[in-house]
Amino acid sequence: MDAAKKPVTRRNEAIGIALWAAGFAIPAFASSSWVAIAAMFAIFAITALSEDVILGRGGMFDMGHAVYFGIGAYTTAILNTELGVPIFLTVPAAVLLAAGTGTLLAAPLIRLRGDYLLVATIGFNAIFVLAMQNNPGGITGGSDGITGIEAPSLFGIPLFSQSAMFWLDWVVLGLVLFLMRNLDRCEFGRALRYLKQDELAATTLGVDARAVKTLAFAVGAGLAGLAGTLFAVQLSTVSPSSFVFTESVTLFAIVIVGGPGSIPGVLLGTALMFVVPEIFRDFAQYRYFVFGIAMIAVMVLRPQGLWPRRRNGL
Amino acid sequence: MGTFVQQVFNGLTVGGIYALIALGYTMVYGVMRLINFAHGDLCILGAFVGLTLLTGTAASGQPGALVLLLAFAVAIVVIAAAGVVLELVAYRPLRKADRLSAVVSALGASLLIENSIMLIWGPNVHVFPAGLLPDVIWHVAGATITFVQVMIIFASVALMAALYYFVHHTLFGTAIRAVAIDQDAARLMGINVNRIIMTVFIVGPALGAIGGLFIGVYYRQAYFTMGWTYGLYAFIAAILGGIGNIPGAMIGGVLLGLFNAFAAGYLSSSWQDAITFGLLIAILLVRPTGLLGEPVAENA
Repeated sequence: MDAAKKPVTRRNEAIGIALWAAGFAIPAFASSSWVAIAAMFAIFAITALSEDVILGRGGMFDMGHAVYFGIGAYTTAILNTELGVPIFLTVPAAVLLAAGTGTLLAAPLIRLRGDYLLVATIGFNAIFVLAMQNNPGGITGGSDGITGIEAPSLFGIPLFSQSAMFWLDWVVLGLVLFLMRNLDRCEFGRALRYLKQDELAATTLGVDARAVKTLAFAVGAGLAGLAGTLFAVQLSTVSPSSFVFTESVTLFAIVIVGGPGSIPGVLLGTALMFVVPEIFRDFAQYRYFVFGIAMIAVMVLRPQGLWPRRRNGL
Repeated sequence: MGTFVQQVFNGLTVGGIYALIALGYTMVYGVMRLINFAHGDLCILGAFVGLTLLTGTAASGQPGALVLLLAFAVAIVVIAAAGVVLELVAYRPLRKADRLSAVVSALGASLLIENSIMLIWGPNVHVFPAGLLPDVIWHVAGATITFVQVMIIFASVALMAALYYFVHHTLFGTAIRAVAIDQDAARLMGINVNRIIMTVFIVGPALGAIGGLFIGVYYRQAYFTMGWTYGLYAFIAAILGGIGNIPGAMIGGVLLGLFNAFAAGYLSSSWQDAITFGLLIAILLVRPTGLLGEPVAENA
């Protein structure tokens, strides 16, 4: 039963690690704009993987995930520009604040069944964006957002260049991927999967549904907060328009179109939604038109997702 | 006192529109357990179709009321046809699939329709022509009531009464309710479930097209992202009344319209949306099945 011992899984993991390692060479041959796109891919892959913890693995319909991403980004932006806190020191605050918000919002709502949870999270997203726009206490900068976020510095050396920034994002992506792989095997991950498959049976066997689901929200939101920090640093600016409902829909669609609970599926989904549009830049106005068609087509032809999760494997 | 009466009339007008659109959400949810995210965009597509006819025929010198009736008729037919295509292409193949697949397909359909509007009519705000309807104004207890408001309120009430009669007092309506309660049992009783679902996708979008065109005529403008805004409001109205419950959607629409009008009039207009969503979340926490409850017990 143990997934780790299956030779196919091992082979896939080896391929995955090799691809990730090879990714570090991207700045060696790609133009700086493509390095920036690769950095964005890493950031959105982390966000999509964090949505997958809640939606794909937990089976909870979270359609407001941009909120946690946004809280991470705003936390870093405010701490750095207002108080001059170094970027790396804002990470714990960004992660904890996002995770805390996720827990607080989710705790009363997770007993709601699917569609109602979905609607409530849409509501949270709308309130969050409106709150950022209305600039409470003068700290969020209103519709224009916050500009002038510093580059992070490591051991006193500022990571100014696009390549350095990309490597940082890529390392974090690697860590998150490692975490996601282990999630399948730890007690929490298995409890979550069991709950998704059969909640009644799982609770009968002593799984605390409420605690496990709340923890899933906390983990997913916290990881999204981490990605938010990277996002704020990459753009050196944050504004409410980056965290609107459409972003949450995109993250939701990445997980379902790619394959819920499947790491390669989520990565493939992220690439389709964020990297492919860059290739067809000249047709930017058709972007969401094509997305719409693609979302219907994939669901009708492959309702289980493009790269679905295997039974016990990756 | 004047403000109060004014907000009541503003609220009833907007509430009537919300109710017309909410009926489409609630009917689809009732028979398919699916949130039809594309419904709001269909309604606004109706507003644009109507607008094109209005601007095209406004110069012809025909009387305004006739032009308006024609615009409504064409919008209803086009949007009902679009609703049927949507069901056939995006939803029917997924009826047996996981619910999430249908949700993503619905979101895709929403993006597709919204961006089709943008590509056809452009991203700018379109203004509805003036002078189509009589500029009659009534003064009641210090409030100003326009002809458009009265027309919208009367038309919504009449349409809702007609729908209520159709669903609760005709054989076809009984079949719709039977499918909403139990599809398999309804099929065993000889009901053609596919035909019922198709009917729902004709009636819902047709009412929605009227609602969408009302929005255009009332606010005198249309833009491509409107579908999300008003769709979401109408959807909240459906939840408020108890999604799947047809009288609930009507009551929910009117209540939400009044709530919004008073929130904008007496509280803060820049936080109006947040207040509405706060209300939504409060309802979900306290009484997730809405004011009137769902017509059927949930088994999922």
